[in-house]
Formats: sequence, C-alpha cells, structure tokens
Amino acid sequence: MANTVIAQGITIEGELTSEEDVVIQGTLRGKLVSKDTVNVESGAIVEADIAASSLSVGGHVTGNVTASDRVDLMPGARLIGDVKASRLTIADGASFKGNVDMDV
Amino acid sequence: MADVTVVGQGIFLRGSIRGEGDVEIRGRIEGDIEVGGEVTIADGALVNADVTARRIVVRGAVAGNLTGEDGVRLEQGARVVGDLRGATIGVSEGALVRGNVQSGNAAGAERTRARTASAREAKPVARAAEARKPVAAPAPAAAAKGNGLPRRTATAAEERTGPPPPVVPALKKGARAALRKRSR
Repeated sequence: MANTVIAQGITIEGELTSEEDVVIQGTLRGKLVSKDTVNVESGAIVEADIAASSLSVGGHVTGNVTASDRVDLMPGARLIGDVKASRLTIADGASFKGNVDMDV
Repeated sequence: MADVTVVGQGIFLRGSIRGEGDVEIRGRIEGDIEVGGEVTIADGALVNADVTARRIVVRGAVAGNLTGEDGVRLEQGARVVGDLRGATIGVSEGALVRGNVQSGNAAGAERTRARTASAREAKPVARAAEARKPVAAPAPAAAAKGNGLPRRTATAAEERTGPPPPVVPALKKGARAALRKRSR
C-alpha cells in the first residue's frame, strides 16, 4: 500500500504536491496538486484548491477543483467552489455550490 | 482502517502536519511536524522540518530538530542534522547524526543547563536590558526580563522548539570590558 493517506485526526496546512493517489480523511488547508486520483472521504474537510487527474468527493471541500479526467460528488458530499472537468457526476444527496466548466 | 497517516513517496508537502495519531513519512516534507503520536521517517524520506511527537523513529534523512517525548530512535540509514531530544535516545550503528543530543527528563536537564548559563550571564544581560528597550523577538524579549527566575522558564519553553537564536544585546560603554573581565 504505497498510496498516501491523511488520517482523520491529522491537519495538514500547506501545499501538497503528489505523484500518486491521495486519500484524505482528515483536514487539509492550502493547496493540493496530484498527478493521480484524489479521494476526499466522508468526514474529511478540505479548504484548498484541488487539481487532480480524477477526484472523488465524499466529505466537505471548499475550493476550486480542476480534474483532467472526472469529478464525482458522492451522497453526503459538500463542494463549494468551481469545478473544471470534462466529466462530472453529482449524486443524489450531494451538495454543490459553484460554477461548472466542462469545456476542458 | 487507517489511523496512520502515510505521506507516500511521491509526495512533496510544504507546510505543517499537526494532530493526533501516527504519521509515516516516505516522501519529502518542508515545514514542521507536531503530532501526538508516533512519527516514523522511512528510508528514502527527506524531511526538512522540526519534528515533535510522542515517539520518533528515523530511517531516512532529516534536517531539523527531533523532539520525542517518549523517545527518539535513529535506525541504520538515518541521517540527521539537528538536535535530538527525548526521554530515551537511541542511535543504531550506521545512523549518522550531527547536532545536540539530550536524553532523559527534558525539564530537569534544561533547568540545570539554564541555571549555569543564567548565573554567568544574568548580571550583564539584565543591565543591558534595562539600558535599552528589549528587541522585538520572542526569545530575546523573554530573556531581557533580567530576573534569573522567569528567564529560566522562558528558556525551557523556547528550547522545546529548538535552541533560541543567540541573544546579542547592545551593551553600554564599558559593559563589554566588564563582561570580559568577569569571565576571565
């Protein structure tokens, strides 16, 4: 298991640059850039702009989100910010406030 | 599942990691780490940060002070430039260290060190502090109180984050000569 996990009790403040998958269960404030997938799990709080290849949101994200592939908002997710992705799904029960640009 | 935070090998974090729980670092960190659990710095990790945790195990490269309340352990392959502080300090064969090492009860050791240091420097520093306004930095401001007793606790509190920057107060005329004469 070589992927990155930010566990629930941990708060990271700063710029996180990753070449691999990132799973966030804790709190992240700042900026997140990943070349691979980012998974914000339920209970996680992210106050950061996220750039990833694909992003799955189950927790709270406040920030603009850019994905080269896809963005998925799960039930219970809350996203406040703009989304820039070529594919987007917003599940029933997800909360979203922002602009969407799919012309990537 | 994961109560351990893993900072993988392809990660570069510039910032701080705080919280409860264990952290395993395999990538690059620049900033500071202050966790309530155990920090493991794996082989191949590059940590440019002060690390404060309950327990620290190092197998990678660290530039920064390591403060492990229960202990600090450097395994083979560890390369540390910085101070080690903890209840027990272990340095395995093959580990490289450059810095101050302080094991045992941290508060007790600092009190002894601060007492000998403050006894020598209390008088001239106190006179200089009264002569001019204290410098606007936390460590010199606390030290410039001049009194032996508050200075001791202030030093102990500052020591936790690393040795305080050298305090060079401007001395009154003749004070430097007096100081030289005193220490001779």
